[in-house]
Amino acid sequence: MSRWKRVLLFISVMGPGILAANIGNDGSGITTYSVAGARFGYSILWTMIPTTIFLIVIQNMVARLGVVTGKGLSALIRENYGVRATFFVMTALFIANLGTAVANFAGLAASVEILGFSKYLVLPLIAVSIWVLVTKGTYMVIERILLGACFIYTGYIISAFLAGPDWSQLAYGTLIPTLKWDHEFIILTVAIIGTTITPWMQFYLQSSIADKGVKIENYNATKADVIFGSVTTDTVSFFIMLTCAATLFVHGIRIEEASEAAIALRPLAGDYAFLLFALCLGNAALLGAIVVPLTTAYVICEGMGWESGLNKTFKEAPQFLGIYTAIISSAGILVLIPGAPLVLLMVLASFMNGLLLPFVLLYVINLANNKRVMGDYINSKGYNYIAWATVFTVISLTAFLVVTTIFPAG
Amino acid sequence: MPLFGELFVSEILKKPVLDPKGEELGNVKDLIVTKGQPLPRISALIIEKKKMQYLLPWEDISIFNKRIISAKVYTQALEPYESSEDDLLIVRDIFDRQIVDVNGVKVVRVNDVRLEGLQSDACLIAVDVGMRGILRRLGIERKGEDLIRLFGKTITHNLISWDYIQPLEPRLTSISLTIPRQMISRLHPADIAEIISKVSREEGATFFKDLSVETAAEALSELQPEMQVEIIRDMDRERASDIIEMMPPDEAADVLSDLPTETVREILEHIEKEEAEDIQELLGHEKDTAGGLMTNEFIAYPPNITVQEAMEKFRKDAAEIETVYYIYVVDEKEKLTGVASLKELLLAEPSIRLAEIMETKLKTVTPETDEMVVAEIISKYNLVALPVIDNEGVLLGIVAIDDIIDRILPPTAKKKRRKV
Repeated sequence: MSRWKRVLLFISVMGPGILAANIGNDGSGITTYSVAGARFGYSILWTMIPTTIFLIVIQNMVARLGVVTGKGLSALIRENYGVRATFFVMTALFIANLGTAVANFAGLAASVEILGFSKYLVLPLIAVSIWVLVTKGTYMVIERILLGACFIYTGYIISAFLAGPDWSQLAYGTLIPTLKWDHEFIILTVAIIGTTITPWMQFYLQSSIADKGVKIENYNATKADVIFGSVTTDTVSFFIMLTCAATLFVHGIRIEEASEAAIALRPLAGDYAFLLFALCLGNAALLGAIVVPLTTAYVICEGMGWESGLNKTFKEAPQFLGIYTAIISSAGILVLIPGAPLVLLMVLASFMNGLLLPFVLLYVINLANNKRVMGDYINSKGYNYIAWATVFTVISLTAFLVVTTIFPAG
Repeated sequence: MPLFGELFVSEILKKPVLDPKGEELGNVKDLIVTKGQPLPRISALIIEKKKMQYLLPWEDISIFNKRIISAKVYTQALEPYESSEDDLLIVRDIFDRQIVDVNGVKVVRVNDVRLEGLQSDACLIAVDVGMRGILRRLGIERKGEDLIRLFGKTITHNLISWDYIQPLEPRLTSISLTIPRQMISRLHPADIAEIISKVSREEGATFFKDLSVETAAEALSELQPEMQVEIIRDMDRERASDIIEMMPPDEAADVLSDLPTETVREILEHIEKEEAEDIQELLGHEKDTAGGLMTNEFIAYPPNITVQEAMEKFRKDAAEIETVYYIYVVDEKEKLTGVASLKELLLAEPSIRLAEIMETKLKTVTPETDEMVVAEIISKYNLVALPVIDNEGVLLGIVAIDDIIDRILPPTAKKKRRKV
């Protein structure tokens, strides 16, 4: 194959991997990275390297499931583990994603506010336009818009340079892992992994690959798509942490929210850094607000066997449009109600995600080893060692997160 | 016949299978499907005991229903089952599969499979794709129903008849429909009649229960007489009357003419007086004559009204009447004096009177005229309907072309009725 042919093939197959990984960097993700960078500075940067490896190993398996079976993950769970398992996974996914949608709308509201607009005006407008874009547009168009929007993430890289990092500390913090037996440090490390590898991303990735109808001959292009996506998204996360490390951490500023990071950046790194940070937060939250509700509706309907599709009427696909509309409207409204328990909802979301992820990963790895499902494309022996090690590590870490959510005193 | 009535596969899964002495042979794990005419059937059960799977051929089963499953053989006679990809299993291969539309678009999933006893086989007659199926699989169909009832609603059955599913092969990844999904959810009453005539009596009756009165009325008139009788007889009187009342009087009379006199009386009591009298009148005629075929619902106006007035009256009257293509003109003694077609009425000057546009050379028959003669006249003069008059020339009713066609050329549903 000539080089040009290969490039063309990559362009036609690319999308799902890049999108799934980058949109995973949504409003709640950016908050986590900002908080971690501000709290522990350069010393937490190294965590992005194992996180990226974990992400690649898992997404790669999910992508292969999608290419070989041509089906979404919820479809495979339903067909291989039955109604009961599907029902519980879908219920948990719904709650977790509702929380994630709330987090994204909250991030959107915060960035709108710090940029000087009224969230009461802008947010309903955005919610309605998302609803219209998705219900009236085609998926092709949406995917291209989203891909374009992903470029805005590079803004974080620029803002990191504007923040003027200390290069020797950066190299040291990235390459030499430091483990602090500090409760907060461990929690934040786990939270970073938890927000980078979320259940909904796996569902989204596999469904969009399946729907794209990628052939097994082109699996290498999909693999490249997945690896490229994982590396870019984690590069962005890395630079977000770096920005906060170089500014907020150095000055001892603690934050709770990504929007606080943007505001705190202003006196330290200048207007442009502030503007870029705020805009990128808005963009990330917007992407999440578009994709999370849509994925939820789609995945649940595929698993439960309800008709779905963007071009259907409410009567033809009541559950699909019902779930989609319910998530967007309730998340949009909740964020606008003063004093609504947003933090509680987001904690609940990350708790549900932590609860769900082990199951999803176990389903994925079992399916990827199931000869009835995968035929000759089951995990190779070598890959299986890496996969099991990854799944085991991620599961123990998220289990830790879940336990500490229940017993916060720990 | 080991299968009594119908059941859903999920209702018997994990149920114990007993040997002739009542000892447990194992629990139902799966069912093997084999091709059959006209529907696929169960060839064996796979039962599980202590992690081992055994094959129980259909011939060795003596009782098979929701409550009890028993075999004619003992443990020693059971053969171990070796899992094979060449077998088509209900739970492993059909349950939870995606159903795709004719154009390949994913639509719904198989939540459950409905079995029905036909002769001595258990046949697959439908797949459950509705909410009920999901709740049943979760083991909470009852609770779900109670919950929904609190809101004053019911969960409807959502089944796709096996007729609309492409033949299944082992190793299937999805199940295809033979006609577009949208058409299945909006079946024409004639198609419904065809389904009912293909399945057993109980199944037909169950199917009928879920239909609206209008659809039921239309579907009923498409069925063969003995099936009509069975369905009406098993129905409660109230609903039977509602359905009969919805039908055109001639078809209602056809259905009632085969029922016992007592039942007819009960049904007619529930029907509005005027309608009941019409039906009663028609019941008096032989079935294969003009009198038995005719309906006494038609449009008839006096000759001296204007076209304008006739059209206004027509707008009010035509809604209730099946055959409206001719406007019959009758004098004050109800004697037929002429006829105008709907086309002539529409094209005529509004101010002129009916008497001026009507055709007076009429083709008529009497109630005793044989159905073949009626058919010949309709065919020869290309009529849509033929008036029936008595010896004094009083208009009694009309025989419409669709009624006579059904007599000469029975609809497929009436021919295909399978003996159960």
